[in-house]
Amino acid sequence: MNLIFTLAWRNLWRNRKRTLITMSSVFFAVILAILFFSMEQGSYDRMIDSLVRYSTGYMQVQDVLYHEEPSIDHAMLYDEEIRDLIARFDEQISFSVPRLQSFALIATESTTRGSMVMGIDPERELLLNDLSEDIVEGRFLSPGDEGLLLAKGLATILGAGVGDTIVLLGQGFQGATAAGKYAVQGIVDLKIPDLDNNTLYMTLEAAQWFFGADNRVTSLILMPENPSHTRRLANELLQELDREWYNILTWEELLVDLLNLMKFDMAGTAVMMIILYIVIAFGLYGTVLMMLIERQKEFALLFSLGMKRKILAGVCFLETLFMSVGGTIMGILGAIPIIAWFYHHPIRLTGQMAEAIAEYGFEPILPFSADLWIFYSQAFYVLVLSVLIGMYPVKKVFQLRIMDAKQ
Amino acid sequence: MKTVIKTSNLEKVYNGSVAPVRAVNNVNLEFQEGEFTAIVGPSGSGKTTFLNLIGGLDKPTGGQVIIDGTDIASLKESQLFDFRLKHIGFVFQSYNLIPVLTAKENVSFIMLLQKQSKDAMEKRAKEMLEQVGLSDKLNSRPNQLSGGQQQRVAVARALASKPKFVLADEPTANLDTESAFNLLDIMSRLNKEENITLIFSTHDQRVIERASRVITLVDGEVSKDEMFDR
Repeated sequence: MNLIFTLAWRNLWRNRKRTLITMSSVFFAVILAILFFSMEQGSYDRMIDSLVRYSTGYMQVQDVLYHEEPSIDHAMLYDEEIRDLIARFDEQISFSVPRLQSFALIATESTTRGSMVMGIDPERELLLNDLSEDIVEGRFLSPGDEGLLLAKGLATILGAGVGDTIVLLGQGFQGATAAGKYAVQGIVDLKIPDLDNNTLYMTLEAAQWFFGADNRVTSLILMPENPSHTRRLANELLQELDREWYNILTWEELLVDLLNLMKFDMAGTAVMMIILYIVIAFGLYGTVLMMLIERQKEFALLFSLGMKRKILAGVCFLETLFMSVGGTIMGILGAIPIIAWFYHHPIRLTGQMAEAIAEYGFEPILPFSADLWIFYSQAFYVLVLSVLIGMYPVKKVFQLRIMDAKQ
Repeated sequence: MKTVIKTSNLEKVYNGSVAPVRAVNNVNLEFQEGEFTAIVGPSGSGKTTFLNLIGGLDKPTGGQVIIDGTDIASLKESQLFDFRLKHIGFVFQSYNLIPVLTAKENVSFIMLLQKQSKDAMEKRAKEMLEQVGLSDKLNSRPNQLSGGQQQRVAVARALASKPKFVLADEPTANLDTESAFNLLDIMSRLNKEENITLIFSTHDQRVIERASRVITLVDGEVSKDEMFDR
C-alpha cells in the first residue's frame, strides 16, 4: 500500500505545473459551487424562516379535513384534551399559538370587500412574530379586546382609520350567520402586499364569538424546542392524537408550493454547476490521458519487472484521486473564510432591488448559508467525478499489452 | 551444469500486412547456469523477440520455453507476472528505471514487490549499488544520473533479487565506450561472483568479445552457436 501511495504521490509532481493547473481548476470550481449554493440556500433559509415565523409555524395541528378544504366548518375543537396533550410534550414544544381563520365581507359606509379574518391570541402570537412592532396607527390587541386591527392596505382600500366602525358579515361555523360591528383599534403594516390588502385581526375569543365557533380553532401552531426535530415530534404527536379528527402538518407540507418553486430554482443552479463540473471533468480527463500516454514505456517496464496490473491500476487511480481531492480540500478551505465572512456580514442590497425585497417584508440582504451539507455535497460530487475519471486509467492499465507498450 | 532455460521448436509468427512474418523460427536452445551468452544478428533477425519469449513478455505461437521444468507459455498472465518477479531480471536498452524513485529505491523495487523485509532490501540495495560503483548515488533520481550510471543501476536492480537469469536487451547500445566497458566489467564480475546466467541481445562487438557463448540468429533461426573459453 505504501508503494502505491509513494508512486502515485511522486508521479503527480513529475509535471508540477500541469498538476497544479489541474488542481487549481478543481479548486476554483469547488469555491464557485460552494459560494453559489451557500448564497442560494441562505436566501431560501431566510425566506422559509420568515414564513415559518409569520405564517405557518414549524407545524400545525388541524382538523383532519382542513388542509384539503380550508373552511370554518373544519375548525377543530381546541379543548382540554388537546391542551393536555401539548402539556405532556412540554419539554419538546417551546410554545403553541392558536388561530381561527376564515373569510368575511367587510363593509364601511361606502365600501365592501372580502377579507381574511384572523383570530389570534395576542400574547401568544407575539411569541411567534413581531406583529405589534408593525402597528403604524392605534394599538395592538390585548386579551379581552373587542376591537380589531386592519392591515394597512385594507384600511386604505376601505378608507377606514382608527376609531371607525366597520361591519363584518360572513358564514359562521356549520352554516351559522356571522355578523358583527367592530371598532378599528389599530392599523398594522403587513409588508407582503397580498396579506396587507386582505387581512384583519381580532382576538381569538372575538373571532370564536363572531363565527359561532366556541372553543374552536382552524390551526394550532406548534413551535418545537429544536426545529430540526420537527418531523419526529410531529410523528410522536400523531401517535397520541385521534387520527379520525386531527392531523399534524409540518412546515414542509404547509409550504409545499414554495418549496417546489425553490427546488425548481435550485435545479437551475444545479444545471449551471453541472456544466461547470463537466468542464472541470474534461480538464481532469485531459491530464489523466496525458499521464497515461507519456508513460506507456514505463508501464511496460513495470509489468516486465513483475508489478501486477492491479497495483499499477491502483497507482493511476490514486493519482486522479489525489488531484481532485487535493483541489476539493483546497477549495473547501478557501471557501470557509469567505462563507464565514458573508454569513456574519451578509451583502446588503441597495436601490430598486432592495426596495422590491423590502416590500415583501424581507430584509434587503443576500444572506449566506453555512450549512455543512453544501461543503459535503461539493466534496461528494467531485469525489464521484474523480472516481469516474479514475476508472479510465484503471481500464487502460488492465487492457494494456506489454509488447504494445514497449514499442 | 544445470540447464536454466530450454526452448523447443520455439516459434513466433506475426501477422504482417502482406504476409505472415516469422520473427522466431524453430529455435531449440539450452542455456546453462552461469553462462554469459550473447545473442547476435542483424536488425530484424529476431533477437529482441527471442528475449521477449524467454522472458515471458510475449507468447510464442508455437513450441515451448521451459524454465525450471515449467513451460512458461502455458502460464496464465498473473502466473507469468509472478514468474518474472521471482526468476527473471531485465535490463533494457532505455527506459530502464522508474523516474520517480531514487537509485536505491529502484534497486529495491523488485524485492519490494517480492515483499522482502525492509532491512534485507536496504542492505542488498546498498550492497549492489556499491558493487556497481554507485554507493555515492543512493538517493539520486534517474534524471540526476548519466546514461551509464542509469544502466548500472538497472543491472544492480536486475541482480539484487538473485534471479535465475538476467535478460539484457542491447544494454550498451546507448552508452559511450568507457561507460559500456565499465558496465560490461561489472556484469562479467557479477556473473562470476553470483553465478547468475546472463543472456544479452546485442550487435555490439564489445559485448560479443566478453561472452562465453555467442548465438547468431538470422531471419529468426539459429545460424551459429559458438562457445568460447573466456
